[in-house]
Amino acid sequence: MRKEHINDKEAICLLIIFILGTTLIIGIGSDVNNDKWITGIIGLILAIPIILIYSRLQSIFQGQDIFDILIMLFGNIGGRIISLIYVWYAFHLGSLVIRNFGEFVNVVALPETPMIVPMLLIGLVAVYAVKLGIEVLGRTCAYLFPILVIILVTVQFLGIPNMRFHHLKPILAEGISPLLKSGFTTFSFPFAETVLFLGVFFTLKTKKSPYKVYFSGVFLAGIIIIVITIRNILFLGELGSSMYFPTHVAVGRIAIGEFLQRIEVSVSFIYALSALIKCCICLFVSVQGLSKIFNLNDYRSIVLQTGLLMVFLAEILYDDIMSMVDWAMKVYPYYAFPFQVILPVGIWIIAEVKKKKINVEAENADKS
Amino acid sequence: MFFIPFLVYALLAVYEFVPLYKEKLWSDLILNAVLWVLSFTIAILLSFNVSLTGPQDFIKEIISFILKVGNT
Repeated sequence: MRKEHINDKEAICLLIIFILGTTLIIGIGSDVNNDKWITGIIGLILAIPIILIYSRLQSIFQGQDIFDILIMLFGNIGGRIISLIYVWYAFHLGSLVIRNFGEFVNVVALPETPMIVPMLLIGLVAVYAVKLGIEVLGRTCAYLFPILVIILVTVQFLGIPNMRFHHLKPILAEGISPLLKSGFTTFSFPFAETVLFLGVFFTLKTKKSPYKVYFSGVFLAGIIIIVITIRNILFLGELGSSMYFPTHVAVGRIAIGEFLQRIEVSVSFIYALSALIKCCICLFVSVQGLSKIFNLNDYRSIVLQTGLLMVFLAEILYDDIMSMVDWAMKVYPYYAFPFQVILPVGIWIIAEVKKKKINVEAENADKS
Repeated sequence: MFFIPFLVYALLAVYEFVPLYKEKLWSDLILNAVLWVLSFTIAILLSFNVSLTGPQDFIKEIISFILKVGNT
């Protein structure tokens, strides 16, 4: 199988669009009304140490993905068991993304169409994209990212007449405690979800790349999310907290005279694109992991079946949209914590301890 | 509606299994077959409108039990 490579620019675009993913659809934070933008900042600050750890791990084991690292550190059996845990996380996250997209389409555009239809469509496109490989995904993101930024900036400017700055006040009305709790939610969804890129960034070319890519990607995505959150608050005020898709509603309010209205339909392109890329990354990491666990020749042979299973899991995940939001905001941060923090920190500590031994073994292998 | 999964999965089996068999990639073929069976079973159950339970409730219960959160 040919080794795939992506450059730093493509990787940054991939990371930004992944982070924007479903965050653009359902927004960040909960229970803090007009302080949501502060939770974005808290989430970003909390993400810094963990991103350092992800970058360090990728930098120590350059050219190897998380599954290779796990097998190297924990042996054939232990490594494969922990790999299976990460495969589950990627697979489950992919299903959650597909379901978010399905609910979004079902609520705002196609209420009479069975939800499985949009979910199956995005799932099949993801299968096709993953079969084409990570290089194609990276290049697609690099081409589409400028379009995404242009649309976001244009919408931002068009919305200036609708902004009501008093909606930002009172700041910290609910106190610090709910803000920190909500900041933790923002940390785990979306920033720490970038743990999955440990299964993608083996394709980077240089040893310094992971730091540059992770930091640039997460910071740019964080800034975009914070700006969008502020805009939503300025548009909707406290009303935004009671909406399932605040960004969509906020953009829907933009009207320039009578000739420029309903631009939320065009903006939905961004939601679809970012959800698709996130879904692709989740599917890629799942099949990459499965192929390493079962020693497959090529991950592409199982992409279709895994993608279909992902869609079916998305179909049976929730009863309704209320359970989806409840899960995303209240349960998910605690569920994801072991995958995003505990395991990577453990792996990093063991990697630092075993690093010298691994390097010596590699040098001996090179000499012989 | 239930005949659609049969038809689609029969086509998928030909499309996926035959090349793997010809290339003698046995581990790929076995894992693919296992995933195919799983996926086919769920597709059939969904087409018969059988109510399947996702892992969410179970995960939520465990987390609620450990941390006393998520009870709404």
